[in-house]
Amino acid sequence: MSFVSPSDDPRHMHNRAAAMIARKRLLTFVAPLFVLGYFVYIFFAFDIMGLAERARLDNAVTLVSDTYSYKTVVERNNRTGEIGVAVEGERKGTYDASNYPGWVTVGEDAALITLDDGGTIEIVGDIVRYDVPGFGVVEATQNRTDGVKLNLDTADLPDWISYSKTRVTITTDAARLSLTKARTEVFVYDFGWELFWVTLDSPYSGHSLMEVLTGPQLDPTRPNIAGAWHDFWNNAIWRHGETAWALFETILMAFLGTFGAAIVALPLAFMAAKNFAPFMAVRMLARRLFDFLRGVDGLIWTILLSRAFGPGPMTGALAMLFTDTGSFGKLFSEALENVDSKQIEGIASTGAKPMQRYRFGVIPQIVPVLLSQVLYFLESNTRSATIIGAITGGGIGLLLTQAMITQKDWEEVTYYIILIILMVMGMDTISSWLRRKLIKGD
Amino acid sequence: MLEVKGLTKRFGGNIAVDNVSFTVDRPMMIGIIGRSGAGKSTFLRMMNRLTEASEGVLAFEGRNVLPLVGKAKREWQSTCAMIFQQFNLVPRMDVVSNVLHGTLGRRSTLATMFNLYPESDIHQAIDILDRLGIAQHAEKRAEALSGGQQQRVAIARALMQDPKVILADEPIASLDPMNAQTVMEALRRIHDEDGRMVIANLHTLDTARRYCDRIIGMRDGRVVFDGTPAQLTTGVARDIYGAGADFSEAATSTEIRDHHDIEAAEIRNAEVAI
Amino acid sequence: MADLSAAPLDATRAHYLALTRQRRLYGGIMLLVFVLLMASGFGIANDRNAGGFLPGLPHIFDFPAGVISEAWTKRANLPDHLRNALPALVETINIAAVATLFGAFFAILLSMFATRGLAPWPRLIPVFRRIMDLMRAVPEIVIALVLIFVLGGGPVPAAIAIAFHTVGALGKLFSEVNENADQKPLEGLASVGAIWPQRMLLGLVPQVAPNWFSYALLRFEINIRASAILGFVGAGGIGYELKNAISWGQGKFDEAAAVFILLFLTIVFFDQLSSYVRNRLTYGSDKGAGK
Ligand SMILES: Nc1ncnc2c1ncn2[C@@H]1O[C@H](COP(=O)(O)OP(=O)(O)OP(=O)(O)O)[C@@H](O)[C@H]1O
Ligand SMILES: [Mg+2]
Repeated sequence: MSFVSPSDDPRHMHNRAAAMIARKRLLTFVAPLFVLGYFVYIFFAFDIMGLAERARLDNAVTLVSDTYSYKTVVERNNRTGEIGVAVEGERKGTYDASNYPGWVTVGEDAALITLDDGGTIEIVGDIVRYDVPGFGVVEATQNRTDGVKLNLDTADLPDWISYSKTRVTITTDAARLSLTKARTEVFVYDFGWELFWVTLDSPYSGHSLMEVLTGPQLDPTRPNIAGAWHDFWNNAIWRHGETAWALFETILMAFLGTFGAAIVALPLAFMAAKNFAPFMAVRMLARRLFDFLRGVDGLIWTILLSRAFGPGPMTGALAMLFTDTGSFGKLFSEALENVDSKQIEGIASTGAKPMQRYRFGVIPQIVPVLLSQVLYFLESNTRSATIIGAITGGGIGLLLTQAMITQKDWEEVTYYIILIILMVMGMDTISSWLRRKLIKGD
Repeated sequence: MLEVKGLTKRFGGNIAVDNVSFTVDRPMMIGIIGRSGAGKSTFLRMMNRLTEASEGVLAFEGRNVLPLVGKAKREWQSTCAMIFQQFNLVPRMDVVSNVLHGTLGRRSTLATMFNLYPESDIHQAIDILDRLGIAQHAEKRAEALSGGQQQRVAIARALMQDPKVILADEPIASLDPMNAQTVMEALRRIHDEDGRMVIANLHTLDTARRYCDRIIGMRDGRVVFDGTPAQLTTGVARDIYGAGADFSEAATSTEIRDHHDIEAAEIRNAEVAI
Repeated sequence: MADLSAAPLDATRAHYLALTRQRRLYGGIMLLVFVLLMASGFGIANDRNAGGFLPGLPHIFDFPAGVISEAWTKRANLPDHLRNALPALVETINIAAVATLFGAFFAILLSMFATRGLAPWPRLIPVFRRIMDLMRAVPEIVIALVLIFVLGGGPVPAAIAIAFHTVGALGKLFSEVNENADQKPLEGLASVGAIWPQRMLLGLVPQVAPNWFSYALLRFEINIRASAILGFVGAGGIGYELKNAISWGQGKFDEAAAVFILLFLTIVFFDQLSSYVRNRLTYGSDKGAGK
């Protein structure tokens, strides 16, 4: 600590102080400069310039608009002349003639759509007329031989109409119309998540919660609440039941991995702690084992273990168990090295057996430390379990990646993201509540 | 009853306890005094077998306890309870549980692992606490008690062992005078009422004089004084502590005394100074 | 004393026994519930896994053995493979480093906004706390996947995703550090008329910088792992190489082995480095001050 220097005269001390300040000044200038230089390097290494080209902003727009709105498609198959109305164009969301939404009327080879902004779209056979408020009627036709025709001067179109020989697309704030030889499609946008509660084929579709709870029985074969719950839980589009299972599976992975690791790590930690290890060699061995388990990392463990056990939640749990055994072993053995030997001696002086010495001299001291570590890991492992699930095929992570891969059900992606965040925050709340409760109490 | 012969403890080249011998023929209250590093703690710890002796014999009721191992060693430890300067309780557990630790030696490992003690033990623990005047704190955590109360919990734990000997390593060194007096009186009462032998390391001469039947003085690991309190004159004390003429007994005192005592001590000190 | 307390003593005794019974009951129930949870949880996980635990157990070393034996027969290629995987490794480390730097910077700001006594707008402290909780709760993969969709693959989505989570995670730790900082220097600076950034820079930062640094270093090590794992789901770096190497299956295992080795060594290296530096920061070094 002290400066041991042969010449401690004032001049020398001045010089040294000046040198110290110069060093500090250097540090305060050099460190930011270094970071700046690093960022310049990263700018090129990560090809930030190229990012602008690669970025797909239209993707971002779809993504964002999909998260809060959905579209209903009115579609005429121009070969067969069939007209159908479906939510998101999905089979599971198809309306049948009895329950078309109020804004569309379907007649014999004809449909009339009334839009929110006062415009109308009329499909009559091979002709479609879009009456755009403040612009006028746009009429488009198609036939097998001539392709697609428009009633406007195709050389001077507004930018919301695009035209080619094979396709006309009209995009307004209220709807999007597209006409090809194969089909006429009108997309109408609505706020919210479509069919979130029950799908259209359920008798409870279109009824409010109050009606279901207090109104007359809607399905003669089942009581309202049970039936509605069943249809909600088994909703074919949102798959609430499966999602709940996936969340449970994710938490299960985290739970098994964390507590399993704690159980395995505790006895190993005794072997790695200076004051408990029977031999130096055992201690070194245990420590290297911990380093190894941590070093291999959850990713590699997941890959290795899924070869033996196949994909699924147990593989994920085991991968976490392996990594965290290393982390816990290290943390626990540090906690053990810091125990107060007086308490152990107090127990030993009564003639207690070794197990009793550990039980009363050691455990009460390390339990608070251990517990708070374990609960902290539980929360962080819930997040890891989401990622590991995406790799090993289990839990909410898998659902999330699946929904992402299709690149169309962004509202489902949003749903999963919200659930994941709620799940992690929930685990965080529970774990800090338990930490307070168990460590204060005991 | 207790026979110590040639007891020695070496830490490397350093001799902490050097060829200590003495005998005790009936349960007494014995005080061991000596300056820091004299080997008092090491002696008690060897007796309780927390520290292994290097040489010598320590026979209790005719049996040498130093070579005992395993179960026999633990049985001896439970016969010979130890009280520490820093109490050495489990601070996070409640007072009664701490007292019940005194029964660990004779109860099955498995049951105690889950804190399962017989009800009679619990009753006994509370009775002992009551005897020491701290039954009202039974349910509190040990760490919530004052130092003096904690030391009495430690004494209760010792009594719970139902020992023949109680070893006390500076039991009052970290207590204020009030608490020190309560604790010393408790130890004395245990000796008087139960007839247990008490051996206490003390660093205040007046405490030793006041509570002990016999005083052993140690210096550099050797016994340099062994006698009654009356034989422990200031001159002898000066030898034990290896102090010069400026040695003041009051400096080693923590006891509360009435005015008369203080005056007497002051007069004595004045004489010493002259 | 004993006479006086005879009646209360019985009460104490009865009360303590009741307490003990209750504690035993609760303890027993908790233990039972825990054991049941572990056992049934394992059962469920086992059922929902593609392969079971017991059937898989004998094969646990099959894959490592396959990789090792193939890597051994083609060991001559190993140096080349190691060299080829190096750029990807550098990218993984860069992702982690950039994410940690940005994350730590914003975490510092947020943590100061969320600490009583430091916050420039004390009323908004709960808001900033919530924001940090929220950022901490978002797993990296969520943001990474969304950004890969928008920005295309590569290191940038991963770096942003990790940085986002890092802000929340470090922000919480930093604000705990800030709370323990001495407020007196800040008051002193305030009394000479220093504005908020000056007060923070001169009064707070010197006190807490070592702790901040130590936590950031720990986070860097965690972020390297995260960056590797994100590569596996498509964000580039060594994880991506690993995915490619193992999905080729037999015949490319020597490449996989090279990546495994590189990744393992990297993680161990940064793990040891960060714990060494952090130890030095907390306990000081034997030769630190003298030189
Ligand atoms: N575990 C040990 N290792 C090495 N030396 C020890 C050990 N315990 C004690 N000693 C040494 O043995 C000598 C006697 O120590 P001991 O603790 O018995 O003294 P003491 O009389 O109790 O002193 P105090 O009044 O300060 O408690 C001292 O020189 C001490 O440094
Ligand atoms: Mg001592």
